[in-house]
Amino acid sequence: MQAEIKGGSAFSYVEIDLEPGESVITESDAMSSMDARLELKAILNGGFWRALLRKFLGGETFFVSRFSNQTDSKARLTIVQPTPGEVKCEELNGGSLFLQPGAFLACEETVSLGLQWAGLVSWIAGEGLFRLVVSGQGKVWYGAYGALLTREIDGEFIVDSGHLVAYDPTIKLRLQLAAGLFSSFFGGEGLVTRVQGKGRVVIQTRSIGGLTSWVNPKLY
Amino acid sequence: MDITLLHRPGNTAARLTLAAGETCTAEAGAMIAMSGNMDIETTTHQKGKGGLLKAMKRMLGGESLFLNHFTPKDGEGDLILGTTLAGDMMTFNLDNESLIVQGGSFLCCEHGIDVDMGWQGFKSIVSGESIFWLNLKGKGQVVLSSFGAIYPVEVDGEYIVDTGHIVAFNETLDFTITKAGSSWLHSFLGGEGLVCKFRGKGTVWCQSHNPVSFGWALSSGLKARKA
Repeated sequence: MQAEIKGGSAFSYVEIDLEPGESVITESDAMSSMDARLELKAILNGGFWRALLRKFLGGETFFVSRFSNQTDSKARLTIVQPTPGEVKCEELNGGSLFLQPGAFLACEETVSLGLQWAGLVSWIAGEGLFRLVVSGQGKVWYGAYGALLTREIDGEFIVDSGHLVAYDPTIKLRLQLAAGLFSSFFGGEGLVTRVQGKGRVVIQTRSIGGLTSWVNPKLY
Repeated sequence: MDITLLHRPGNTAARLTLAAGETCTAEAGAMIAMSGNMDIETTTHQKGKGGLLKAMKRMLGGESLFLNHFTPKDGEGDLILGTTLAGDMMTFNLDNESLIVQGGSFLCCEHGIDVDMGWQGFKSIVSGESIFWLNLKGKGQVVLSSFGAIYPVEVDGEYIVDTGHIVAFNETLDFTITKAGSSWLHSFLGGEGLVCKFRGKGTVWCQSHNPVSFGWALSSGLKARKA
């Protein structure tokens, strides 16, 4: 499998060349164009109940799409996320990575998708009650609205709610006020997420929630 | 007509320099700025070839009724055009051929090109996603816009493009609205629904992002409109 992320950080899309016999799993409606010989199968996102949980609690779709190349030559698939923004590829080597709801785009078949209780703290911080866990061997593509910043942390780091995209399992979430009561609520920062531990945190430079809350007061 | 594409690919605008007597036909509402000597004529069809019946037909197709024709008086003039959604643009030189363009991707063209709004190749099945199509014919330059980046796909055989990702394609291509993969059920459950299958030899220009999908992603966070 050959894959390349194109379009820069504003309009990332992924071109995947599948060799004969290979396949890739993507979130629902991710395909923008493909070789007509590729086969598409909608599969449950890991069993009925887990798929249901993942849909209602993990912000992902009930079905995921499995694209497979059953021909005898290379075939191309192009996928993209619904919002403009950056997509990153992560190669898992037996480890795992936590993804925030909606961040998952695609993965190799050898990667397993799980759902894990993220806790009330994550929910209050606007990051969802559950989080998606990708683990196993192989490539995972994930993305968000805006560009992605990766930060190695050792100790603690503060992230505005809604901006967290992915983090290592060694990281824990805590909730706190950005500053004192006054500046937290009037300074527009409100609640922030404190991430603690040693590992990587990936944050998005913008958030869809930020855009919709800007649009909302203008609707009538 | 001299075309410069500025600030690609994120915030692209097209700067057109029109010589005396040249006319540029642009999508209504695309003008950002222009020289003071620019004359604008708004018509329902190609300049000088207006027809109420054709305009009605387009209105029924859910498409904006008007085209603006810009002509500089006394000497040359500048015109800057932009789009609502962030994305790239491309220029295309038509040489007595035909290009099918997704309505939302049409930005402007030289006067010598015939903008046929009545093209019904995809029929109403695709208009469900409120897409309309233009058939650009003739000789001259065309500027197309997109949501996201634009990538060309050289089709030789069969290729599938999701309907929301088509910018334009050569008329030499044959197409059908169909399913992705071999099963209707899986195409719908997989969220792909109806896609366009191109056949033959030619080029399809695709936009990396789908405006409809972005609309859905956005709308889940918006509050309901008061009745």
